[in-house]
Amino acid sequence: MEHSRNNNGVANDGGEFQSPALERLVRSLSRLPGLGRKSATRLALHLVSESAAAEELVESTAQACEQVCHCGRCGAITEQDPCRICTSERRDPKLLCIVATPVDILPFEKAGFYRGRYFVLGGLLSPLDGVRAEDLPFGRLVERVRLDGVDEVIIALDSSVEGETTALYMQRLLQELPRDSDRDALHMTRLATGIPVGGALAYIDEVTLQRAFQFRRDF
Amino acid sequence: MRILSATVRGFRNLQESTFEFSPRVNLVLGRNGEGKTNLLEALNYYALGRSHRGARIDDLIGFETESAFVQLEIETKPDDVMRCEFAFERGKGNRFFLDGEVVGRRADLVGILNTVYFDPESIRLVRGEPSRRRHFVDQGVSESEPIFLSHLTAFQRTLKQKNGLLRDLKRGFADYSTAREELRAWNRELAHHAVEISIGRDDYAHRLTPYADASHRALTGGDCGLEFAYRPALETVRSKLAEEVPENASNDPIPSPLSFCEKEQLERDILSEIDYIMESEIKRGRTLCGPQFDDFEVRQDELDLRVFGSQGEGRAAAISLILARSDVLHEKRRIRPVIFFDDIFSELDSQRGQRLQEMASGLHQVFIATARPGDVAGWDPPEMKTWSVHAGRFDQTESP
Repeated sequence: MEHSRNNNGVANDGGEFQSPALERLVRSLSRLPGLGRKSATRLALHLVSESAAAEELVESTAQACEQVCHCGRCGAITEQDPCRICTSERRDPKLLCIVATPVDILPFEKAGFYRGRYFVLGGLLSPLDGVRAEDLPFGRLVERVRLDGVDEVIIALDSSVEGETTALYMQRLLQELPRDSDRDALHMTRLATGIPVGGALAYIDEVTLQRAFQFRRDF
Repeated sequence: MRILSATVRGFRNLQESTFEFSPRVNLVLGRNGEGKTNLLEALNYYALGRSHRGARIDDLIGFETESAFVQLEIETKPDDVMRCEFAFERGKGNRFFLDGEVVGRRADLVGILNTVYFDPESIRLVRGEPSRRRHFVDQGVSESEPIFLSHLTAFQRTLKQKNGLLRDLKRGFADYSTAREELRAWNRELAHHAVEISIGRDDYAHRLTPYADASHRALTGGDCGLEFAYRPALETVRSKLAEEVPENASNDPIPSPLSFCEKEQLERDILSEIDYIMESEIKRGRTLCGPQFDDFEVRQDELDLRVFGSQGEGRAAAISLILARSDVLHEKRRIRPVIFFDDIFSELDSQRGQRLQEMASGLHQVFIATARPGDVAGWDPPEMKTWSVHAGRFDQTESP
């Protein structure tokens, strides 16, 4: 509460401003990810002086909150449930890419090469953050693999300790799934790690270089 | 590797000053509390990216100022000079620079400035708790093999996660139905890194021994040999170590059975060992085996110095081991680290102290701080520079 007193040392509910309403706006903005108090103040002052922009923001936020939802099948952010990717006939249902968060779908869709569908876990195993297997939708994943007759699962998780462990957990889970006798075993793959395209070899870190070396291919 | 010069401003009690160091021996004389260790700490800070004494950043900033700055000019190879700088601001943390450019991650500092630091605390290596020896070895392996550090960091993170899960299970916070499968997944990740940690530690112990032995003979006057051996906590790794080394298995003069074993097989064996004790781990609510319980044996003529032997023998062995670390670094990466002796001579009897001085004269570049000029009286190695310090003020003087 270092800002709660004015020059005379008298308590002032408006914080450093002479307006409690402005103070409230700054506080709610500074709770947004990536915004500190300074940037929040700048945004707040901009909004109160540009009322058209503020109204537009209020309206679009309300609309987005009302219309945006998660796809019940894959977990993507969408306005229709099930989402367009899950219902599109041009998408191969036998190809399933598993990602940690809805945002992880965006680079795939932007690149446009992927023709399969997605499954969003919504997190990674991490007991320290209170995330356990029962908190992640593994039951729905198994169901999805079975019902859609998925042939290949592509695991696209972070290469952190949590990402690796979640991948290992899913590997056991999916390996043990019973398969129809006339179908091949479920194919599980993971994204490769290595040197970024256009990256300079000289500045690559040792671990990435070692992985790239380990998984080098015939040429 | 040498520190050619340093400019220090606002660091602890040190008065703003610039030093031109000797490429060989640098001696700092002063009573306790005048600032000897503070100077050595400032010189060593960049190498670790933190204080070797574990001090908080705000404690490193002088009482009368809000920020501190240290600039080092280091010579990594002849005629290859780099500028290493770091700055602190009270309440804001530290920033590192290399040749004027920001160094973003602390991991990127590893290997820029290599140092080896001796103080009365560090030479409890032999008779102290096992974690000191693990830390010593891990630091040694990491400075010559950066990939080891990434395995170690990942291992420690995984271990924390697994312990978190076991703790929750014990308190009844967690669902049991999926717990075993989850533990198995964490165990697989642990085993993957445990293999690399075991191989790295064993290889390092093998490399260290001949150098430590030579230093120890020089320091103790001849007859006492020294051996440093990996004592892994995992049964699987222990039995692998006991295996005979096949002839012509490698060109390495000191092969370890671990260094040519089948990694995938060892990983599977480690995993079954950890999986096997899962029920006990669940019951106790913590992990019970793995490289986090490893130790290293220090033997002087078949005598385990961790348990037997005098304080003095333990200190001498510790000094020999730490000196050997710089030899291994040279063997692996052709780097001679900068060596700091902070108040070490008072820990040794006068004869061993003198022998260590003779050894120090032959080292690449050393910084020696001592409160007792008598310990270094009459010592006059070539190219020595001497400073005396009083209340953070350094004056260059004649040798003692």
